[in-house]
Amino acid sequence: MRFEEEALALSDQVYRVARHLVGSREEAEDLMQETYARAFRSWRSFQPGTNLRAWLLRILTNLNIDRGRRQQRTPDMQPLEEGDYFLYNKLEASGDGDSDEDHVVERLSQNDVVSALSEVPHDFRDVVVLVDIGDFTYADAAQILDIPIGTVMSRLHRGRRILKKGMADQAVGGEVA
Amino acid sequence: MTAYDPCAHCEEVMQPFMDRVLTDAERQEAESHLDECTYCRKRYRFEENLRVFVREAGAAERMPVELKQKLAALRTPLQ
Repeated sequence: MRFEEEALALSDQVYRVARHLVGSREEAEDLMQETYARAFRSWRSFQPGTNLRAWLLRILTNLNIDRGRRQQRTPDMQPLEEGDYFLYNKLEASGDGDSDEDHVVERLSQNDVVSALSEVPHDFRDVVVLVDIGDFTYADAAQILDIPIGTVMSRLHRGRRILKKGMADQAVGGEVA
Repeated sequence: MTAYDPCAHCEEVMQPFMDRVLTDAERQEAESHLDECTYCRKRYRFEENLRVFVREAGAAERMPVELKQKLAALRTPLQ
């Protein structure tokens, strides 16, 4: 298969990640087009046999930074984060007594996830999106974002907790009587 | 000094446990606590479900067909 066909075959998976790295669908679409235009121009720099999906996302995240979309750095004020049991405890307490762990998750909507994710500060969100939605390994995420693997792990750990706190707020805390 | 709380410890190692990056000894310690603690076991089970749910939620919005066509149109002539 030609390089370009291979890259196009991966576009759904690349879009899935891109959509959550940036704030809106429009931005994601612009970024996808810029990414593919650049990828098609610079295909010679891709080493056959290496991870093409990671290579495309490396281009995409670099373009995203170049365009200044990611100017907002993680604020000095660190986001509120709770422990890993917080979300379950909240959801369990909000329910009608059915605390079956296989059903408690159903109290969340996909929208709760997507909107809580968009509130996670970029540095943390990038890693969560790559690993938990894009299914990249720590090593791939480190290469894509050009950060050490230890940083990937610590950001992932905190990012997931921030996300869970956000989902708890969306699903329970945000309810208006 | 606070007393050692096995459930708090189990909460701390939840992510590395699921990511399979604990050492064998740490993993065994967590497993033996989980064997006897329903409270933590429920929360671990929920976390497994949650990870699947997050992945599905992230994939729910499909790429627009028009975008796919635009990307295909960016291909360069054979060189």
